[in-house]
Amino acid sequence: MKKIVVSSVTLFWLLGFAPGGAGAFQEEGTLRIGGMWALSGPAAYIGSSSKGLSALAVDEINEAGGVMVQGKRVKIVQSVYDDACKAEEGLTVVRRLADSDKVLFSLGPTCSSVAEPVFGILQKRLGDATDTGLQFLFFTDTAIKFGLAKISPWAFRNVGNEPAMFDLAFKLVKEKYPELKTVAVAYESDFAHSVSTWKGATEPAVKKYGYEVLDVVEWRFEDTEFGAQAAKLRKTNADILVMMTHTFTTCGAVKEFKRQRVKAKLMVGITSAASTETLVGCGQAVEGLIIPTNFAAISPKAKALADKAWAKYKADSNLHSVPAYENVHAIRGIVEKVGIKNEPATLLEDRRKVRDALAGLGTFQGVLGPIKMNGDDDPVKPRDVDKAIILVQAKGGQWTVFWQPPELEKK
Amino acid sequence: MAETLLDIIQQSINGLMYGAFYALIGIGFTLFFGVMKKFNLAYGPTIMAGIYLGLIPLYRWKAPMWVVFVTCVAGAVVVGFIVELACFRYLRKGHELAPLMTTVGMLILIQETVVIVTHAAPYEYPNIFGDESLEVGPFLIRPDYLAILISGLVFVVLLYLLVQRTAFGRAMRAIAENPAVAQLLGVSVSRMNRLTFALTSALGGATGYLVAMTFGALQPGIASWMTIKGLVVIVIGGLGSIPGAICAGLLLGVVEFQALWFLGVGYRDILAYLLLFAFLVLRPSGLMGRPAT
Repeated sequence: MKKIVVSSVTLFWLLGFAPGGAGAFQEEGTLRIGGMWALSGPAAYIGSSSKGLSALAVDEINEAGGVMVQGKRVKIVQSVYDDACKAEEGLTVVRRLADSDKVLFSLGPTCSSVAEPVFGILQKRLGDATDTGLQFLFFTDTAIKFGLAKISPWAFRNVGNEPAMFDLAFKLVKEKYPELKTVAVAYESDFAHSVSTWKGATEPAVKKYGYEVLDVVEWRFEDTEFGAQAAKLRKTNADILVMMTHTFTTCGAVKEFKRQRVKAKLMVGITSAASTETLVGCGQAVEGLIIPTNFAAISPKAKALADKAWAKYKADSNLHSVPAYENVHAIRGIVEKVGIKNEPATLLEDRRKVRDALAGLGTFQGVLGPIKMNGDDDPVKPRDVDKAIILVQAKGGQWTVFWQPPELEKK
Repeated sequence: MAETLLDIIQQSINGLMYGAFYALIGIGFTLFFGVMKKFNLAYGPTIMAGIYLGLIPLYRWKAPMWVVFVTCVAGAVVVGFIVELACFRYLRKGHELAPLMTTVGMLILIQETVVIVTHAAPYEYPNIFGDESLEVGPFLIRPDYLAILISGLVFVVLLYLLVQRTAFGRAMRAIAENPAVAQLLGVSVSRMNRLTFALTSALGGATGYLVAMTFGALQPGIASWMTIKGLVVIVIGGLGSIPGAICAGLLLGVVEFQALWFLGVGYRDILAYLLLFAFLVLRPSGLMGRPAT
């Protein structure tokens, strides 16, 4: 009997139900933070880069002595989990980060389809004891679907504003190529980001600037055969191909376009495809592709960061991963400013303090320049950021700057 | 009108060539069932494991593609042998449903192992046929798909000769007909089972190599895709019938491509499964299977 009890307790412990150590946090000289990304599956290349860039920020802070909390320097310890871009995995991971690992906040998730249900279990009404939702802070770097931060006051994001990004992209394309009049569109009908970007950001921009949509084709996020869709796009003979598809299918599709002689004068891609993975995976077939993004290595500081992240973690610096780096640094600043206690007993109180400070942060420093965090009362994008938009173009196997704001050019 | 007709023909050509994949996968499932009267749901993962093993010489030593092909085939045979050993050989007689469960377990085990090792990130698979299509009149033909169709025909002819003209084939057919009588006539059933595993796994490895090459990239989801398509093909074609598997594979390819062209991606899978459902209800023995007695 005794053996069974001991074995059960051991098993319980090993299965991850072990409580946080009593002497954790401030006493042990650590500040716990979390990260949940897609580290496996087709979106793993996005999540792995975010993980690398956040680790780089943690290294920088720890090497500089750590974070000043209650007059003592503590080191950041990060718990990282793989949600595999699956909602059910994400829901398990968030519970673990909040209740078992007891982290102050978490970065991630990668996929909007994970962020949506995960943010859904967070508390909706701050300070309302009857709202038993999870009081857990997210400062998301990647999940980009428009409006996700509205789900809970505990959800903050440093992600691109895709409606503004595609509005600018088509405005500039119109100015530079006034002779182009028609578009044909492809998107992944089973992937939240792809669908929402087409319907909520790209389609309004395309219509606003007077382009005629000749055809819209769909495929699945994990499809590998694009023959029929490519044939349809070829028939349209559209001036611009709008590819609201992620790297894996984009590469397969553009190769099929080449086989079927699909000849558009220009291609515009989804924000997430502005990565090294796209250049490597698609090769020559994406030459000329234009994508709106929030990051390109256009300043010495940005280039140094990109080089360091690649050298140390083989992490690609792009619009999804660089915010992970920025967010860790921003939270460090907030923690030092608001004076958390960093004890297990004060965890909820500490999270709330950091949340409130993040909501009232205003402007903070990003890698390319200032980033403005909208407060809780913003009518359109509460707890989302406004930051510089850049347009990059694939040329000669590299991302080159197609357009950048004048204030960044000066740098 | 003429344009619609050309579209139908073009998509039928694509569907037939793509359907050759389905036919080859279905033949593997059919051989298992024909000889052993059991389903091997770990066949898809066996093929996938073979293809992934083929990546090792490619990525580690930049080996030529013929080495990759040989490694795929050999890798699939080795994994197939493990599947036979773990899921079939030591199961007691009379537990006919047991292999169904053991192979489901093996399916998950192989797939998850590959996910852990590769992080499920897509791996590029070079296409030796390049990125250009052949123009035949108004039609565009993918050379890699054409190669699959031709390879499929070669595999089928070789398989036919093996089954119909060799002692091994005769023994195989005898077991398929009546294992007890075959054993009385001196055929070693367990040896034939192992040889069937080796044959189908080698066929799977060769098919998998072609599939991965045309996909251009490899990820573990390919195992489930092959398993599902293979099962659909053998049900439509008729359990245990090789000609049935060929016809069903080609039919499925054409139906999917026409659905994709005329109705969109949302209807591609719906129509394929409606076809399966229709056969199960209206013709449970499939296109060429033997009616149940």
